[in-house]
Amino acid sequence: MEMKFTGEFKVDQTRDKVFAILSDPEQFAPMLPTFHSLEMKDERTALLRVKVGIGKIRGTASTELVLDEAEAPLRARYIGQGKVMQGAYKMISSFELEESGDGTLVKWQGETQLVGKILSLAGGGMQGYAEKEINKLISSLQNALSKNPQKTESKAKADGWLARILRKSDAGESTEAINDSSPAESIISAGLAGLTEDQLARRTENQSKISKILSAKRSEKRLPRKEDMRLIRGQGLFTDDFHPAGMLHMVCVRSPYAHAKIVSIDVSAAEALPGVVCTLTGTEVKAQSNAFTQLGPEPSALIEDYCLAVDVARYQGDPVVAVIAESAQLATDAAQLVEIDYETLPVVVDCREAMEAKTVLHEQVGSNYTWQGEYEYGEVDKAFDEAKHVVKIDDLKFHRYGSTALECTAVVATWNQLDELDLFCNAIMAVPIAMIGPALNLSSDKIRLRTHDIGGAFGNKISVYPFMALAALASKKAGGAPVKWLETRSEHMMSGGHGSERNFFDTEVALDKEGVITAIRSTHVDDCGAYPRYEPLACVIWAQVMPATYKLRNMKIDMRQVVTNKSPTAPNRGYSRLPHLWFMERIIDVCGHELGIPADEIRLRNYIKEFPYTTPNGCVYDSGDLPTMLQKAKDLVGWDEWKKKQEEARKEGRYIGIGIGTTLDSGTNNFGQSQIINPFLPFTGQSQASTAKLDLDGTVNIAVGSFPQGQGHETTSAQVAAEVLGIDTDFINVKTGFDTERNTNTGTGGTYASQFAVTGLSAVHGAAVKLRDEMKKLAAFSLEANEDDLEFGVGEMGPEIRVAGSPDKNINFWALSNLVNYNTAALPEELRDLHCNVRHVYVAPFQTVDKEKKYGNLTLTYAMQLHIAVIEINKETAQTKILDYGIVDDCGTVINHMIVEGQSHGGAGHGIAAALLETMPHDKDGNVICGSFTDYAPITINNMPELKYENMESPSPFSYNGAKGMGEGGGAPLLSISAAVQDALYGDGFIVQNSHHSPMFLYEQLKNYKDSPISVETR
Amino acid sequence: MSDAKETIEVEITVNGKSVRREVEPRLLLVEFIRENLQLTGTHVGCDTSYCGACTIILNGEAIKSCTLLAVQADGGEVLTVEGLEQDGQLHPLQQAFSECHGLQCGYCTPGMLMSSLALLAENPDPSVKDIRKRLAGNVCRCTGYQNIIKSVQSAAKALQEG
Repeated sequence: MEMKFTGEFKVDQTRDKVFAILSDPEQFAPMLPTFHSLEMKDERTALLRVKVGIGKIRGTASTELVLDEAEAPLRARYIGQGKVMQGAYKMISSFELEESGDGTLVKWQGETQLVGKILSLAGGGMQGYAEKEINKLISSLQNALSKNPQKTESKAKADGWLARILRKSDAGESTEAINDSSPAESIISAGLAGLTEDQLARRTENQSKISKILSAKRSEKRLPRKEDMRLIRGQGLFTDDFHPAGMLHMVCVRSPYAHAKIVSIDVSAAEALPGVVCTLTGTEVKAQSNAFTQLGPEPSALIEDYCLAVDVARYQGDPVVAVIAESAQLATDAAQLVEIDYETLPVVVDCREAMEAKTVLHEQVGSNYTWQGEYEYGEVDKAFDEAKHVVKIDDLKFHRYGSTALECTAVVATWNQLDELDLFCNAIMAVPIAMIGPALNLSSDKIRLRTHDIGGAFGNKISVYPFMALAALASKKAGGAPVKWLETRSEHMMSGGHGSERNFFDTEVALDKEGVITAIRSTHVDDCGAYPRYEPLACVIWAQVMPATYKLRNMKIDMRQVVTNKSPTAPNRGYSRLPHLWFMERIIDVCGHELGIPADEIRLRNYIKEFPYTTPNGCVYDSGDLPTMLQKAKDLVGWDEWKKKQEEARKEGRYIGIGIGTTLDSGTNNFGQSQIINPFLPFTGQSQASTAKLDLDGTVNIAVGSFPQGQGHETTSAQVAAEVLGIDTDFINVKTGFDTERNTNTGTGGTYASQFAVTGLSAVHGAAVKLRDEMKKLAAFSLEANEDDLEFGVGEMGPEIRVAGSPDKNINFWALSNLVNYNTAALPEELRDLHCNVRHVYVAPFQTVDKEKKYGNLTLTYAMQLHIAVIEINKETAQTKILDYGIVDDCGTVINHMIVEGQSHGGAGHGIAAALLETMPHDKDGNVICGSFTDYAPITINNMPELKYENMESPSPFSYNGAKGMGEGGGAPLLSISAAVQDALYGDGFIVQNSHHSPMFLYEQLKNYKDSPISVETR
Repeated sequence: MSDAKETIEVEITVNGKSVRREVEPRLLLVEFIRENLQLTGTHVGCDTSYCGACTIILNGEAIKSCTLLAVQADGGEVLTVEGLEQDGQLHPLQQAFSECHGLQCGYCTPGMLMSSLALLAENPDPSVKDIRKRLAGNVCRCTGYQNIIKSVQSAAKALQEG
C-alpha cells in the first residue's frame, strides 16, 4: 500500500535558516510525532526509535533516517525505513524552499509505503491515521521553523488511491477503535505491573462481574437444533480448525494489477528462507495440470484457466506464485520476498468496453463474450403493435457485491504417494471433484472431498476450486504433506467470489389499457470477471423466473455475458434470478408510476393468480397466493397509515418511500438447463442421496449428500427420520458435513439452489422408509407377528417395535440390529438380504429441456417472498433510514418454523445490506476499492432494522412433503428498497437505475442525475 | 519479517488454568489461543477488528484477540467460549442463543457469546438499544441479528430469574 501526501506552508524565517534546520537530521528527527529517541550514525544518518501503533497494537520500532538529498538552500529529502509489527514501511519526505516576501514557502511531499500484515491489522484506519500523523509533523515543523507560528492552513491531502475509497457513513462502532488512536499512549500491559490504582480497581471490578455471571445457575434443557450441541460450545470443526500432523501452509502472491504481462518471477530469496518448503509458479502449474473444463460452448470453451496465472494476470488478486512453508507466518514472510516483474496491459472494467473488444482478455476466444443467445417466447412484435402504452427504460444496473461469509474459503489438501487426494474443505457442492479431477489427471474415485462445519457460504464458495487444486499441487510437490490454504479477509474482498453484475439495456415494455404488461424486450449483459469458472450458467438460471410473478406471455431477452479485468464472480445468494427479479420489479414500478397506477394496484393487476402455472418458457410455478401475501404484508407494516404519513412528510419536505418487492425463490434445479448454455454438457435433472443405517448399538445413523452451512440439515433430517420411525429425534444421529466416503454423492450433491427441503429431505424420507420396512420384516419374524400389527415406539429398553395392543411383545432397536449384524445365522434364508443399511436416491421428476426452443421446467418448486420497506431519505446526505419492514414468506409446508424464519431473516439481512451498504466497486484501473470489512462495512446489528415477519403455507404439489426450498430467499429487500427509494424520489423526477443506494452512491447519482431514462408512448 | 527468532515467555491464565509458553513477539493473541493452545472455538473472520469473531474476555473486558499480541496479554486472565460451560452444563447465555435460534453456521457465535457475556455482566437488564450498541462490533452473516437480540434478552431474563 502506498500513500502520498502533499502540501505547503509559509514561515517567517529566511530560507537559509529553514534549510539549516530541515537539513540537519538531529534537529529534524525530534519533530516526528512518533519520535522516541535518537542516535546519530553519521552526519546524514540517524538511528531512531519511534513509537508506532494503531488502535491497541503498539510498540516501538527502529528506523534508519537518511538525509538522502540536500541542496542548500533549495531542497532536502529524507528516506526512512524500518520494520514494524509484521510488516515493513518506507517513508520519503522532501521539502522545496522558495523565498516568499520576508519568509519562506515550504512545499512538502510525503510518501509512505507499507507492506505486510500491519496493513490488514490497521485496515481502513491507516489512511486516517497517516493523515493525522502527517498533520502533526507539519505543525511541529511550522512551529519549529517560525519565529511566530502562522495560522496558515496546511492540512495533508491524500492523493493516493485510498482517498478514492467510497467511505461508508455507518460502518458500525468498531471502527472507532482503529481510528481513534494516539501513539502517545503506552503499550497495553495485561499484567498487574504498571497498572494505576484506578486501572487495577476497574480490572478487579470487571473480573468480579464476569465471575458472578459465570457462576449463574444452570439447568439442563434440550437444545432445539442438533448442530447447536457443538457450535454453542465452540466445538465445531471448521476447516481452519483442522490440523493434521506435518501440515504445511500455503500463501499466494497475487497480482497487484488488473491486467498485466508477467515478465519474470524470481522465487530464489523466498525459497532460501528457512522453513520454506517450496514454491509454485504458473509455468509449473501449466506443466503439471490441465486447464479447467469450461462450461461454456466454443469459442468461450477455449479459455485457458489454470490455478495460477500463466504469463498474464487478468484481475487484481490473480494468484501468480504459491509459497509453501512450515507456518502461515513464514509463508507470508517468504511471499514478500518473491520478485515479480509485470508489464501492465490495458484494463477492461466496464461491460460496454468489454463488448467493444478493443482489448480482448482471452485472445483465442476472439471477443470478450462468454455467451450470447436469444430467449424469445410468444408473439412479442404483435404485442407491441397492439399495445396501448409502450414504456422504454434504458440502462439499469444490478451491482456487484458478495454475501461474504464470515469464514473465508479454506482447504487442507493431501495428495499422497498413492495418488490419492484428500480435500478437507469448506466447498459447498461436489462440483469441485468434477473440475479438479480432470485438471489434475485424477480419477474422481481417487478424490475424497469432505467438509465438516462451514462458516456460511451463500453460494460464494462454489467457484474456489482452483485454489483447492493449487493446494493439491502444493501438497504433491511437498512430498505428500497436508497443505492448508486459508484465504485472508483482504484476499476474499479482493477476489474471493463476488456476485456478478448485470446490465439491462434498451428495455421496452408493452402494456394494455388496464396497465397489464403484455410484452417485454430487452438486452441483458452479465459481467462475470476474468474467468467464467461456474459461468456462463447465469445466462440461463435467470430464466427459471423469467416472467417473475407476472402473467405476461410475450418476452424477448437478448442475453449475453462478458469477461472483464475483475475477479471471477461466483454464485451469490439469489444467483442470477435475483438480478432478473430486480429488473422485473423496476419495470412494474416504473410502469405503474408512468401510468398513474399505485404500486400495489399494478401488481394485483399483473400477478399470476392460478397455480400450477406454466410460464412462457415452460417452467411450472407450483403454488402460491400472491394477493393474500400482499395484503398480509400491507397489514404487517400498516400500509394505509404510512401512506398518510408519507403525504404529510412530503409537505414538510421529507422524503418517505414505500416499496414492495415480490420474489420467487426457485428451488431444486434441473441441470438440463445447462444444455441451453452448452448442448454438449452431459447434465440433466437433479438427484440427492441419503443413507440410513441401524447401527450396532441400535442408533439410527443418517448421512446426507448436502453440504450444510448453518441451515440446520442435521435437525430437519432427524425430524423426518424420527417421524417415519416413530421415535424421538434424540435417537437419530445425523452425520455432520459431507464426505464422498459416505456414499451419499450423486454428483449433483450440495447445498445450493434452495433444494434441501425437497431433494435432501425426500432422500432422507426414502431411506428412512426403506429402513423402517426392513426393520418391520425382521421384527415380524422375531415376534412371530404380522407386519401390519406392528408399531414403532419407545419402551423401557429404548426405541422398539411392538405388537400393537400387546406392549410386552416387543423387540428393541439394538436387538434388531443384532439380528442383521452379530446373529445372522439365526435368520431364515429369505431375510438374509436385509442389513438395515440402506441408501435412497431421490430423483426429481424432471424431463430434459428443449435446447433449441429453450423450453422446459427448470426448477421444481417456487417459494415466494413479499417484502414491504418503508424508508426515509435525507435529501441532503442521501442517507436512507428504514422506518418499517415487513416480510411475508411462503415456502409451502414448513418442516421447522424456527429454521425457516431464521433463513428468512438472514436473507433479508443480506438484501438490506446489499441495497444500502455493501458494494464492491472497482476504479478505472481495475483496483478493488473495498479491501477490508472496514471499507465494505458489512451490515451490523446497529443498522439492521427490526423485521416484522409472517409465514403462510401453500403446499407444493411436487414434493412428497409439500415443502419448497427457501434458503436463498430471492433477495427481496433489494427489490423493496429500490422500490421505496424510487417511491420517495419520483416527485423529483429521479429514476432509480442501480440496485445500490448507499449514501455516497446515491448522493453521486442525485448530484449527477441528468435525463430520465424513461419514455412513454401512449396510443 | 522475522530475522531473528526471538521469543518471549508469557504466562496467561486461560479459562482458569495458568499456561506458560515461549512465543514470538509478533504472535497475535488469537493465534496463541487457536494455535498454541488449540482452543479453536475462538475464530478469525476479518483480521481488522471489524467482525468480532475473535472476541474473548481479557481481564474482565471483551476484546478482539486478533488485534492484540500474545505478549500484551502476559499476566492476564483470558476467558474463551470453551470456558463458558461448567461441569457439563451450558451457561444460560449459550442455552438462550440455541433456544432463540441466535446462531446458524456458528462461526460468529463464540465472539457473539463473549461480547454478550460482557454486556450482561455490566448491564443485567439491557434495552434493545443497549444490545445493539454493545454488539455492533460483532458481525453475523446468517441471522440478520433478529434472533441474536432475542437471545440476549432471553438470557438476561433467565439470569435475573436465577
